[in-house]
Amino acid sequence: MITPLKALRKNRFKTALIFISMSVSISAIFLISAISGGVVSMYSAMLKTDGDIIVTQKGIADTFFSDINNSLSAEIRKITGVKESSALILGAAPVDKLPIVAIYGVSDNRYDSYTLASGRYPKEDEVILGSKIFETLKHPKTIVLSKKEFVVSGVFKSRIGFEDGGVVMNLSDAGELFHKSASIFLVSLNDLGKSEAIVTQINALSGDIEAKTTDSFIDSYNQFKIIQTSSDVIGAMAFLMGILGIVSMMSMVVNDRKGEFGIMRSIGLSSRVIIFKLLSETLIIALVAYGVALGASLGILELIEHADKFQGYINGEITTVLMVNVFIVSVTMALLGTFLPALYASRIDPMSLIQRGGA
Amino acid sequence: MRIEAQALEHFYAHEKVLNGVDIEILPGSFTAIIGESGSGKTTLLSILSTLLQPSLGVVRYDGKSLQELGDIDRFRRTNIGFVFQFHYLISYLTLRENIALAALDTTLIDPLLVELGIDKLGSRYSDEVSGGERQRAAIARALINRPSIVFADEPTGNLDTKNALGVYELFKRFAGEGTGFVVASHDKKIADYADIIIEMEDGIVKQIHKR
Repeated sequence: MITPLKALRKNRFKTALIFISMSVSISAIFLISAISGGVVSMYSAMLKTDGDIIVTQKGIADTFFSDINNSLSAEIRKITGVKESSALILGAAPVDKLPIVAIYGVSDNRYDSYTLASGRYPKEDEVILGSKIFETLKHPKTIVLSKKEFVVSGVFKSRIGFEDGGVVMNLSDAGELFHKSASIFLVSLNDLGKSEAIVTQINALSGDIEAKTTDSFIDSYNQFKIIQTSSDVIGAMAFLMGILGIVSMMSMVVNDRKGEFGIMRSIGLSSRVIIFKLLSETLIIALVAYGVALGASLGILELIEHADKFQGYINGEITTVLMVNVFIVSVTMALLGTFLPALYASRIDPMSLIQRGGA
Repeated sequence: MRIEAQALEHFYAHEKVLNGVDIEILPGSFTAIIGESGSGKTTLLSILSTLLQPSLGVVRYDGKSLQELGDIDRFRRTNIGFVFQFHYLISYLTLRENIALAALDTTLIDPLLVELGIDKLGSRYSDEVSGGERQRAAIARALINRPSIVFADEPTGNLDTKNALGVYELFKRFAGEGTGFVVASHDKKIADYADIIIEMEDGIVKQIHKR
């Protein structure tokens, strides 16, 4: 353990460069995964609130574009096993100085999902604001939405960033704004075991709608797939950049320390020992870089979460699973990036010591 | 360990540097290979010490060729020690750590440091001790695994006369205890210490003197 640390200290400039390269790559992986995971988890959590089954317009790619007839909600409620069906209009519009804000039109039976911090639930031409947007707009009494003024009747608090930075109004007002009677229905059941059968019955009500269990909807939701794929691609690029950084720096390190590895070969240390020595050096850097990247990422996410500019919509989440995954990725990055230079080092001809150079 | 080299030839590109060398190194002997620069002594030493494969010919160690020895790293670590012209100690390690890097049994380090008179310098780095002390540490590293034979290439090339003679005396002492030494040098003073002197010229053995 002492030997690798001394080697790192001796080559401190290149050690610092490898450390910076790894820290940046690991932070990038942490941040992109946390932010995309946060978006998916926030939206999923919102859909899962009182929603065992989700009903949307058939074949629609995004819930924001979904348009279904609200009268079907009453028919869904009649199906045996359905506890409640609430309608939701999902939209986005400029609000006062903010260029885009999430707007939720909800049926009366869904207000209970929003925990009021002050005031009361909205009536006609009224809205309630999430606490984040309420703070951002400096405690407004009224807001202007699509050139129409709405009275702020209350403020609610939600741990879901999309809601806490959004505006909730009654379904009919939202219907006027977005020219639809509902975007989706959230259906809660008495017995989850019967969900598949109820999905079939709901789908039989109209050819224009598509019902899915919430879990199945989340698994197949195209937007989540796009976000996840983009995140994976960017994460993979950061991983590859990290490996390239390590390979190039370690190649320089090995070249600088040719004499040292020649000595090791001449005294009979096996190739395996030399490879292990170099791998252990980069693993030490990787462990420190991982710790620093984790700390930095948590700090950056905290800053983003509280930045007014993002209205609380970016709410990155570093879960234990993500921490473990990124740890594995960091170790893999260090091992892959070091292996080729280490292999080269392990094959340095000790004759080079006799012919030239030193340690 | 008995080493026999037969019909050794070696080329660097098209230049022939060894031209049919047959020699024998006896166990526990102090053998000096002497000659002018370019005579082939360093190439011969490198081949005998397993660092270099000859272009032609064969070297046997107690009757076995390199191919028959199997794990060459293991063979080198347990049977062979090296001392180079430059001490080649790793600069970020202390003298003791340098020796420990080669050691199969680290409990032997301290007695060896005492034996070589550098026991108070174990925690120092190579740039904190004199040239003679550095070379003694390099000799300690070569001897730590009690090898059958130690090869040294111009081990006194960077030392003053007093330190150079001290190194030869050390070799002589350890040779007396059973470790063989093969030393390539252009320093004629080595002849006063060696049991066998192999004189090289233009890639061939010109003369072998036995004392």
